[in-house]
Amino acid sequence: MAAVIRWLTAPVPLGRLAAFRTLVYLFVVADLVVFTPWVRAHAALPVELYQPLLIGRLLPLPAPTPALVRGVFVALLLAAAVAATGRLPRLSGTVVALLYLEWMVIAFSYGKVDHDRFGLLVALAALATVGRARHGDPTRSQAAGWALRVTQLAVVATYFLAAWAKIRFGGWEWLTGGTLTWAVIRRGTALGEALLAAPWLLVAAQVGIVAFELASPLVFVLRERWRSAAVGFFYSFHLVTFATITISFLPHLVAMASFLPLERVRPLRWWHRVAGAGRAARPVPAGSGEPGVVSAGEPAAGSERPAGRLRQGAGGRTPRHPVPVAGDPAVDRPGDDADRAQGQ
Amino acid sequence: MALSARGIAARLLATAVAGVLLLAGTIWGDDDHFPFGPFRMYSTTADPDAPTRDTRLEATDADGRVVTLTEVNSGLRRAELEGQLPRLQAEPHLLAAVAAAYAARNPDAPPLREIRVVIRWHDVERFRPTGTWTDEVVVTWRP
Repeated sequence: MAAVIRWLTAPVPLGRLAAFRTLVYLFVVADLVVFTPWVRAHAALPVELYQPLLIGRLLPLPAPTPALVRGVFVALLLAAAVAATGRLPRLSGTVVALLYLEWMVIAFSYGKVDHDRFGLLVALAALATVGRARHGDPTRSQAAGWALRVTQLAVVATYFLAAWAKIRFGGWEWLTGGTLTWAVIRRGTALGEALLAAPWLLVAAQVGIVAFELASPLVFVLRERWRSAAVGFFYSFHLVTFATITISFLPHLVAMASFLPLERVRPLRWWHRVAGAGRAARPVPAGSGEPGVVSAGEPAAGSERPAGRLRQGAGGRTPRHPVPVAGDPAVDRPGDDADRAQGQ
Repeated sequence: MALSARGIAARLLATAVAGVLLLAGTIWGDDDHFPFGPFRMYSTTADPDAPTRDTRLEATDADGRVVTLTEVNSGLRRAELEGQLPRLQAEPHLLAAVAAAYAARNPDAPPLREIRVVIRWHDVERFRPTGTWTDEVVVTWRP
């Protein structure tokens, strides 16, 4: 039990939590405005087409009207924008988690439930339990560790239990059936349709998908470097899925960033440095380097392999981050991270 | 920064409860149990040697043009159309609201005179589409 607790709450740098938090809430904003505009379109559909999910009947949530949908949209947008800045993290995080859940009930109560955002919902719930976290803060926190760990668990559960569902609903013949053929005919790209000429490849892909989904929990027992490779493989799987049958699973991809050493990504710092260098007004003082990026403090930085740096960042070792520099903004402004979310 | 014993206990409990609900949803549940339902995307087995379906919502407008209704111009997603197909077959008048939604979203477009739910059955033989298909109209609604 003690080992389970230690694993579930293995401390991570608060800077990582802060970066993940900004990424997740900026994604919520982008999701509302860019990625899933059809949710708002449900406002125009008649109440008769609304078939509330169990959670909507239990609570009981009101049937969506244009005013309700608009109200939730605006409130969620504002709350997510505040949460992305890291201010009032518990309050704004709780508001976003609840409103986003309601938004999903509006989205999925018209005949189709999507399965791409369990990880994101867990991330939203868990992020609200962590207090203030500064960007770049190397202090290790158990609360932050738990929030990221349960998000990772949700992401991996999505894979593992998806294999389970295929066997439950499709039977073992799913492996050798025509499901991918059907998916390509339904929504294939030119690349996907090219695969129709090689049916054995689609069957092999089906076997491969179930095998990788069943094996996905192994990501937790891999050593750091292999874990990064596994997460890279997960991302590449979705890239191929998108390139062939235009299914993006974007919310899931954002949640999966909980595996990454995000504290190394400091777009605003980089921007300030570039802008500062451009002005060439003053030299950058030595030692003001940002955690994880080229590294005044790391020995033999030039000879180090990139994988070695990754391993260090992803893992549970003592970080060699420099102490945050005075003048480090307590909260990075959102903006650059949005591009990351879309670029995943 | 370490958590208190209470903080750890609460997190342990939350993790266990969510895990049990998710597992139960996968074993016994269905989409209705969102967010703890099974992850059943593309989990049914399609027969690789039988026609495969591709559903669409199409309409004829006052100018006689055939318009395909999508989530962009009507607000209803294709998968939602498929999910609600039995209801639409029983109550085609529900499509009136889709016509209204189309009119609201496309104020300059001619009004719709007929909406049809069409299933295109693509012939598939041994995993390969033959390139032939049959369209089956399963719901028709006129104002």
